Amino acid sequence: MHITRVRFADVTAVERSVLSINRQELEAQLKQDTRLADVAIELANPGDKCRIVNVADIIEPRARTANSGPDFPGAVGRQGTAGHGSTCVLRGAAVLINDYNTGGRRYQRPDEGIIDMWGPGAEVGPYGKTCNVVVLASPAKGTDIDEYCVALKIAGLKTAVYLAKAGAELTPDDVEIYDIPPIRHTAGELPDLPRVAYIFQVFSNQRVPLPGDPVLYGLHIDKIVPTILHPNEVFDGAVTDPYRGYAATYLIQNHPMINELYRNHGKTLYFAGVIISNAPDNAPEYERTANVAANLAKWVLGADGAVLTKIGGGAPELTMAQTALRCEELGVRTTLALAHQGIDASETTLKASTVFSNIAQVDAMVSMGATTASPMLTLPAAEKIIGALEDSQTGAEIRRPASDIKGSFSQLGDSDLMAVRY
Amino acid sequence: MTPISMMVGVPRVVQGVKIVNPMGNEEMDPEAEQRLRRDIATGALHALQTDVKVPTLFDRHKA
Amino acid sequence: MASKKLRVVHYLNQFFGGWGGEEQAHRGPQIVDGPTGPGKAIQSLLAANGEIVATAICGDDYVGEKMNEAAAEIVQLIRRYEPDVVIAGPAFEAGRYGVACGAICKKIQETLNIPAVTGMYGENPGVNLFHKDVYIVQTGDSVRTMNEAITRMVNLALKLVAGHKIGKPAEDGYFPRGILVNEQSERSGAARAVAMLLDKLKGQPFEPEVLQPTHYPVSPAPRIKDLSTATIALVTDGGLVPAGNPDGIESRNATRFGGYGFKGSDSLTAADYDVNHSGYATVFACQNPNRLIPVDAMRELERDKTIGKLHERFYSTTGVATRLEMARQMGQAIAAELKSEGVSGAILTST
Repeated sequence: MHITRVRFADVTAVERSVLSINRQELEAQLKQDTRLADVAIELANPGDKCRIVNVADIIEPRARTANSGPDFPGAVGRQGTAGHGSTCVLRGAAVLINDYNTGGRRYQRPDEGIIDMWGPGAEVGPYGKTCNVVVLASPAKGTDIDEYCVALKIAGLKTAVYLAKAGAELTPDDVEIYDIPPIRHTAGELPDLPRVAYIFQVFSNQRVPLPGDPVLYGLHIDKIVPTILHPNEVFDGAVTDPYRGYAATYLIQNHPMINELYRNHGKTLYFAGVIISNAPDNAPEYERTANVAANLAKWVLGADGAVLTKIGGGAPELTMAQTALRCEELGVRTTLALAHQGIDASETTLKASTVFSNIAQVDAMVSMGATTASPMLTLPAAEKIIGALEDSQTGAEIRRPASDIKGSFSQLGDSDLMAVRY
Repeated sequence: MTPISMMVGVPRVVQGVKIVNPMGNEEMDPEAEQRLRRDIATGALHALQTDVKVPTLFDRHKA
Repeated sequence: MASKKLRVVHYLNQFFGGWGGEEQAHRGPQIVDGPTGPGKAIQSLLAANGEIVATAICGDDYVGEKMNEAAAEIVQLIRRYEPDVVIAGPAFEAGRYGVACGAICKKIQETLNIPAVTGMYGENPGVNLFHKDVYIVQTGDSVRTMNEAITRMVNLALKLVAGHKIGKPAEDGYFPRGILVNEQSERSGAARAVAMLLDKLKGQPFEPEVLQPTHYPVSPAPRIKDLSTATIALVTDGGLVPAGNPDGIESRNATRFGGYGFKGSDSLTAADYDVNHSGYATVFACQNPNRLIPVDAMRELERDKTIGKLHERFYSTTGVATRLEMARQMGQAIAAELKSEGVSGAILTST
């Protein structure tokens, strides 16, 4: 269902692209989680002179229709499988979770995670153009920060389900079909197309994992060995972005790389599957990860080629490069897509690069922009600020690099930014 | 960061434990961790006493 | 709009300026009307777009010995001709000439606020020194490539004066200046990645968008022959600093390092130190700084005479998003300090 505006009303409903929300009903549902206090819902529509800060994650409203299975299995609902049946999407709307009140304990700078609903900030990222429903809460007395963050994330997921349920019984505006049957049903039909796998790095162990973060079917993946998912599972709520991660759950629900591979499936390639992994922080583990991922690509998915993305800065490049090298050694050709996080844009040594690896076979790399070459933006003073503490200065006119806007840089392929050396 | 250092051309490299704890392991008890640290340091000293021509990875433990 | 005929001044060294060879390299600058030597070919290329109104000539050694003053002197001679643009060289492989061209072009830009272009071969030291300040066209290593060199130089000069957007280094034939710009491609990153993979699978050529680094080889120092008499120092890039970070070392993209004494201690105490590094979870290092700077282990090895002495200061900086060039400089500075203090070997713990 297409949504162009969000508002409060007596009844939660979707009508003529307006999403109406019964604020008391939604807040009451979320308050049932005793780990949260001060639960409040705020709204922001594109064009409002509104700035939202401390956005920890963004989630697209989704609800599976009857008989399709539990929503966000393992995270919100009971365990189950995602990716089959049908799911209602409120496209053009987004749920934001806001952890403004963590007592400053977790983060380096206050008021990060900015979304502006108007002005220059709205132009550089996608979430200034979505109708946003912001879930705010504080930790309840006796709840520690980690528990609070997990509870907040689940509140966000529940909100996403609650809202989309309002559209689930209606006649959809559009229907998108995602279907890749098991390999043996198509063997022989598309023999000449190269089989391409996507190796999706979801979490980097250079960061401390949030205990209980429902990243994969309700549990974290910080100790995971690479495994295979059907792309539909990624789209349909099996995977959420690790808390305050580099991407956003919204982006994973609409995964650009998976979308691109689906677009090409049956035409220029056969989309063989998705391998998810983390990025371990030590050599023996990332070598293990690289070996397992490459073996899955080669021997289980039978891939001729693989596209790889990473999640994070320089350290995950090690896992990515090593995985790519192992793939190449097995005859699986690779292409890496990465945003350059590390090096100062004015690094001027002639042979300066913004990546570490110089392995000969791992030579196909696509740039998704350099955060360090991000231009400074002057963000005008907001009439309304959501999700800041009382003494915050962030509502005034501020100067920030564009990369501070949520979603302006993407490691998953939707951005058309490309870092070019002059 | 081991393969990075070798790629960058560091001649003598001893493998540490992990990025967040290069000369230790918080999962061990303190005495065992102390012995581990000494082993890695010993490996490093062995490397300093060895001539190399190309980036070389050295073991821990070796005296 | 009637296009103005551009006033161009050309700079040449003693050889190309017709004075002579090495014996003329010490001569100071002079300026003559009109084009000289290769300037005549440049004039043909300029055609109706521009006129070489003067040629400044100077000996390479004269510039080499006092670059700043010589460049300033030459700029003063040039400014009287009120040029719109200055072209220097091309210097090909000649090192002193290339450096002189770079220095003069840089000075022209700073003082007269007009564009300046030069050209030289990749190995010319002038490239490394001036490529970030000046547009240096890539040339071959000898005068046989003169035509191609001056063609590129003239094209670039005309673009610069006209204020046109300069193309990528490969397009306009100049050395990359190290400026990284985020541009918008017509296709998303995902589309480009999949397309590149398909090309690679078909064995078709593709153009990687990210260049791999070329790392400069490091000559290994000879081994320590007698460890039992050697002084060993500890260094880290994990961001270990005394509590409060007194030297203000940055938590990323560091530009400084610190040397910190721990005289006599058997071990580093957690309360005395902070870990200032934004590239990894620092909790374990904070709990026990010996995990970055292993004083405790080294003290044991000193006591049992495995090593002669543990150096009383450790050196530290932050290795995340730190520029390679800066890291190189810091490494050299730390090594120099250690060497002057009689240290024979160092252990660097990296995160």
